[in-house]
Amino acid sequence: MKKYLGNKAMILALIAPTMILICVMVLYPLVILFTKSFTEWDGLNPSTFKGMDNYIRLFKDPIFYTGLQNGIIFALVQTCIQIPVATLLAFAVKDSGRFEKKFFRITYYLPAVLSITVVAQLWLSMYNAEYGLINKIFELMGLEYRQNWLGDGDSGIVAIAIVNTWQFTGYQFILLLSAANSIPEHYFEAAQIDGCSKFKAHLRITLPLMQESYKYCLIIAITGGLNAFATMNIMTGGGPGTSTYTLTYLMYRSAFKVGNYGYGCASAIMLVVQCLIVSIIINKAVARERIIY
Amino acid sequence: MTLQHHHRKHFTVGTVFFKFVLYIYAVVNLYPIIWMLFYSFKDNMEIFTTNPFGPPQTLRFENYVKAWETFNLPVYFMNSVKVTAAVIVFVIAFSTMFAYATARMRFRGQTFLRVLTMIGLFLPLQCIMIPIAVLVRDLHINNTLWAVIVPYTAFNLSFSIMVLYGYMRSLPFELEESACLDGASIWTCFLRIIVPNVKSAIATVAIFVFMSVWNEYNLALILLTRDELKTLPLGLLFFQGEYTTDWGAMGATMVIASIPTVLVYTLFSAQVEKAMTVSGAVKG
Repeated sequence: MKKYLGNKAMILALIAPTMILICVMVLYPLVILFTKSFTEWDGLNPSTFKGMDNYIRLFKDPIFYTGLQNGIIFALVQTCIQIPVATLLAFAVKDSGRFEKKFFRITYYLPAVLSITVVAQLWLSMYNAEYGLINKIFELMGLEYRQNWLGDGDSGIVAIAIVNTWQFTGYQFILLLSAANSIPEHYFEAAQIDGCSKFKAHLRITLPLMQESYKYCLIIAITGGLNAFATMNIMTGGGPGTSTYTLTYLMYRSAFKVGNYGYGCASAIMLVVQCLIVSIIINKAVARERIIY
Repeated sequence: MTLQHHHRKHFTVGTVFFKFVLYIYAVVNLYPIIWMLFYSFKDNMEIFTTNPFGPPQTLRFENYVKAWETFNLPVYFMNSVKVTAAVIVFVIAFSTMFAYATARMRFRGQTFLRVLTMIGLFLPLQCIMIPIAVLVRDLHINNTLWAVIVPYTAFNLSFSIMVLYGYMRSLPFELEESACLDGASIWTCFLRIIVPNVKSAIATVAIFVFMSVWNEYNLALILLTRDELKTLPLGLLFFQGEYTTDWGAMGATMVIASIPTVLVYTLFSAQVEKAMTVSGAVKG
């Protein structure tokens, strides 16, 4: 039996494709990313070592701070809308009938299965200053109020963040619903027998028991916001000016538009660092102990 | 039981409020999508002035014909099909093999290797976009669909290995013992006994990979620059192109591109949600 399960040739054949792919496409690029971030590199010719130059330039680059700020705004908008809305929906759906449950689950998750291009373009047509759905609705309500939603830098990044929020609130909802469903019903019943109101029972029992799921939701919403790229690339391409730049967009532009690969690698390293910091903080702050029921 | 009953009977202000919230949010979610579906059947006149909100007065199927015939849509669609199918096949083959070796066979360093593959779950893909682009060029697979198939396969392995490993660990170890006694080779045992036992996990993985690959945008954007290689999420970028003024045909292309994922989701909603919950739970 030991020989059977320790068949070396077989093991090698089984793990080789995966190991090669992971090493070549994930680990090696990580090493390259790190080493090239200290160099000047155009992506074609050999790079020249420049020490901390890229990082020093990055910290002096006003676009880096725009990107950082936009990432934070993006993360805040996503987190502050998605998590409360998803919580409310999850609890409301939990008490619905079977048919309604199915209907709401499919409806809420539906935007998340659409391609980001479809969603971004759909919202571009909704935000359109002349013909867009949103301005039309204002018109319908008799309001003269019209706005070029993406045309101005401050509202631009929020408008883009709303699109992402709309698309993925359903995802958070599914995560929270499955967490709420896995809590044994008798915890809740016991509280009600003790004369606890439904609201209070949810607040005191269900929510604390779901803290681990909230941790995932927070990490997904925040790192997703900090890394934002696709939606803003399609909707504004960083404009007007550089007002809707994010860090990922700065990286993308440095490498693929300007040809400064070393600088792009340094911004990518900042992305990794940023996500690590957020994950570590959230892991320390929320749900430190695993709850088993 | 009585408690439940008691609950259902009374329509309190709270219940009404929650129902209201649920339906309002359903409208917020669905109406934009329905609006898109509506305008894919309209002409500009109807979209912009005469009938911006309601269902189309006449179904202008010519928008769909135009979308299919003039916008290179069949090419993008086929590219998406090819890429997605190839990635699903490779991911399932490689991750089943790897999961089998680490979950059921015995060799030194098996835990280390398995944990190493998990790095793909925690690393934001955007971060390594630059080295991947250079690597793909150096491997001379740019200008083919392999440019995205290879990295997509690598990135989707982590999740599938995790799911399949969990399933394979839960199978009784007597399976191999009896196979060994019956004189079956380890390869036969893997293919004929283990794989059929983890069919449902393989289905979950396939659906998950389908959803993520069909809609992938970031890597495709930097790796697929030639028009005849573009997948749907790239080919659909109309607002940056020349057809912006024809909203009806643009709507039609967007609807066509969305059909596969929406269909798969409505048919297999439970599996999709399960896959998403598992993948969400590992990000933490």
